[in-house]
Amino acid sequence: MMTRIFLIALREFTSTVLTKGFIIGVLLTPIIMVVAIGGIAMTRNLKGPQVTGTLAVLDRTGVVSSGIVERFSPEAAAAEISAAQRAVTQAIDKTLDQAPIDPAQKAMARGMAKGEVDRTLSKIGRLTVNVLPDTTDDATIQTIKDALARTDIHAAAKDPSLPEPTVGLIIVPREAVFSAASSPYQEIQSFWPEKVDFEIRERIHRRIGDAIVDARVVTDPKLAASGLSAGDVRRLLERPGAADKVVTQHGEKESAGALQMMIPAAFMALLLIAVMSSGQMLLTTTIEEKSSRVMEVLLSAVSPLQLMLGKIVGQLCVGLLILVIYSGMGIATLIVFSMGHLVDPFAIVYLLFFFLIAYFIIGSMFAAIGSAVTELREAQTLMTPVMLVVMTPWLLWLPISRAPNSTLSQVLSFVPGINPFVMVIRLTGSEPPPTWQTLAAIGVGLLTAAFCAWFSAKIFRVGVLMYGKPPNLRTLVKWVRMA
Amino acid sequence: MSTAVTIQGLTKTFGPKYAVRDLDLVVPTGSLCGFIGPNGAGKTTTIRMIMSIIFPDSGQLSVLGRPSANDSKDRIGYLPEERGVYRKMKVAAFLTYMARLKGQDGGAALRRKVQQWLERMSLTDSAKKRCEELSKGMQQKVQFVAAVIHEPDLLILDEVFSGLDPVNRRLMRSLIDEQHRAGRTIIFSTHAMYEAEQLCDRIFMIHRGVKVLDATLGEIRGRFDPRLIIVEPDIQNGESIGPRLESLPGVGGVHTTREGFELHLAEGADPRAVMGAIVRDTPVRRVELKRVTLEDVFISLVDSSGGEGETAEQLRAAIGATGNQEAGA
Repeated sequence: MMTRIFLIALREFTSTVLTKGFIIGVLLTPIIMVVAIGGIAMTRNLKGPQVTGTLAVLDRTGVVSSGIVERFSPEAAAAEISAAQRAVTQAIDKTLDQAPIDPAQKAMARGMAKGEVDRTLSKIGRLTVNVLPDTTDDATIQTIKDALARTDIHAAAKDPSLPEPTVGLIIVPREAVFSAASSPYQEIQSFWPEKVDFEIRERIHRRIGDAIVDARVVTDPKLAASGLSAGDVRRLLERPGAADKVVTQHGEKESAGALQMMIPAAFMALLLIAVMSSGQMLLTTTIEEKSSRVMEVLLSAVSPLQLMLGKIVGQLCVGLLILVIYSGMGIATLIVFSMGHLVDPFAIVYLLFFFLIAYFIIGSMFAAIGSAVTELREAQTLMTPVMLVVMTPWLLWLPISRAPNSTLSQVLSFVPGINPFVMVIRLTGSEPPPTWQTLAAIGVGLLTAAFCAWFSAKIFRVGVLMYGKPPNLRTLVKWVRMA
Repeated sequence: MSTAVTIQGLTKTFGPKYAVRDLDLVVPTGSLCGFIGPNGAGKTTTIRMIMSIIFPDSGQLSVLGRPSANDSKDRIGYLPEERGVYRKMKVAAFLTYMARLKGQDGGAALRRKVQQWLERMSLTDSAKKRCEELSKGMQQKVQFVAAVIHEPDLLILDEVFSGLDPVNRRLMRSLIDEQHRAGRTIIFSTHAMYEAEQLCDRIFMIHRGVKVLDATLGEIRGRFDPRLIIVEPDIQNGESIGPRLESLPGVGGVHTTREGFELHLAEGADPRAVMGAIVRDTPVRRVELKRVTLEDVFISLVDSSGGEGETAEQLRAAIGATGNQEAGA
């Protein structure tokens, strides 16, 4: 009996794994994903459209325009870029320091961040400020607005022979700087032609806003008396950062931050991919055996239960192979980036354990569905309950990984069908669940798997020889009673 | 007499419908048993129950001395009506796989055996081809090999001739005959009665799940009297013979055919006396007592009157007749 199950499993495994489809599907998918991610990163590095021209500024305060002109000078722009780069580098350093990465990788991350800053700042290009006289009347403002409506900022940027257009009008009201202590400062008004990138507007607003704040500091009588410069005030108001450390029984360790959240998601995705790929193949091969009418030939040599067991074991090996390939790739990547310590070796043992449980639950359901229908499209309606089980973990990942020991997480750990996925998220999360819950969840999982295997075996026994109209769920239950 | 298969009071229902009803059957070891009946008579259901692929609602089964075929699957070869091959699998690999599932050891001996069978079937060139590349006839040959490669004691062939061309039909007949001569018990089902007539030594006929006939071919011929005489007259005197034949004692009616005449015997007439009278009185080239075909028997048993009530009455009569026959034998 064992020999037959082994033979069936072996055929199931080899006929699945030794096909072009499988090799391409399993090996190429991660490569395609890496290429896609790289591609997205590359498109982000493409320089956006530059804007060149004049920015009209009407300064009703009389104290801001000089600051604005200064901030749009080439030297100031360069200083701003390097300051922004410094700030980003520091922020990145902090994140990277917490997740201790190899220095070469840090340099790479820093380089990417610098590129990002350059890309944003370079969009502004050359902008000259045209300070409008304080006497400018509404009619002139309207003329400028009309001109803005006709401006094509991209045409001017591409063709240097064209006269430099006006790319924006900024009106700084007097109350933006001078305001009674009780009332808020007024907003500035800005007018733009169509198609001005929001990042450019943001950058221009920031420069003008800085000039206004500086003007407020300088013109405030109390601050003037204290002798504080605008720079001093800025420094005083800067919020302090925080150095996160996680205290454990084995001492302090750096917090891995967001990466720590990604590990449970990765484990759950791995589990789902392995279970679903092998489950789907179990469905397909069972349907194929029925539709090619080889089923009854097989049943002359083995019992339906032996056939089902052999097929389930064969596809189990396929799932394990996928799991080993993908988790191997993942762990290798983490080790390359010196983050191997983020994955607890025990987590991998648990992953295997819960893979087995999830596979037996979902795999046996797929086998039963495959045995009950004659064509793949007939399987769709019967697959809805299975798909629900499989989709639920995606919806639950975030709430569970955020609060692995919340009531919701604890309750879901014992819901049959989805609990292997929930437990994998919890076990690889920041706060591992109590051991009794892990053991109890394994118990619930094993019971569910045993029930599904029993239920499916009954359907399988009746279904394999049924041709014609595909059954609905009620018919399936009838078959279970019949078998 | 040892028996390969014994069935007692076997009943199987699908919902409200009886597929097989209170069926008794004994297949002696070494016999070639034809299991005949029209489509939907319950042949495949019975065979599946013999194979323990489905299970009866009631009744008892014994296959090769065991209560279930599951205990002796390695000694049974089965070619189901719904048969197929793994489309993507290579022919030799498929045969090896099936043989190993039937308990044969893998290795050089099995490889040689597969090779020999492929040669017999003129499929040597196809050994490395995928099954889907073969024609339907070739696939049927492969399926037959898969059923016999482990040299079973009992061979069950369900509708083995369906879909075969005349050349492959002849090949299949010779293969079945060869398996029979090798001492195997063979049960083969068909709805084409003449195939059974040519091959079998025992006939088992069912209709609507109920047994209507169970006898050897000789017993059947003995029981179903021939009632038709074929007369081919001498060409010169052809025209005047018709009325003369009709006037002979014991002749119920004469029907003119292209070659001559068919004489229907009157009730209670002795065919030998009538034939003697024909030869004495008329110049004839050929006089033949037409043999009863299984088809005639089946139709006379089951389907001649067409009406539902009459058919049931005939079935009862036929079962009674079979019982009398067996009691008398």
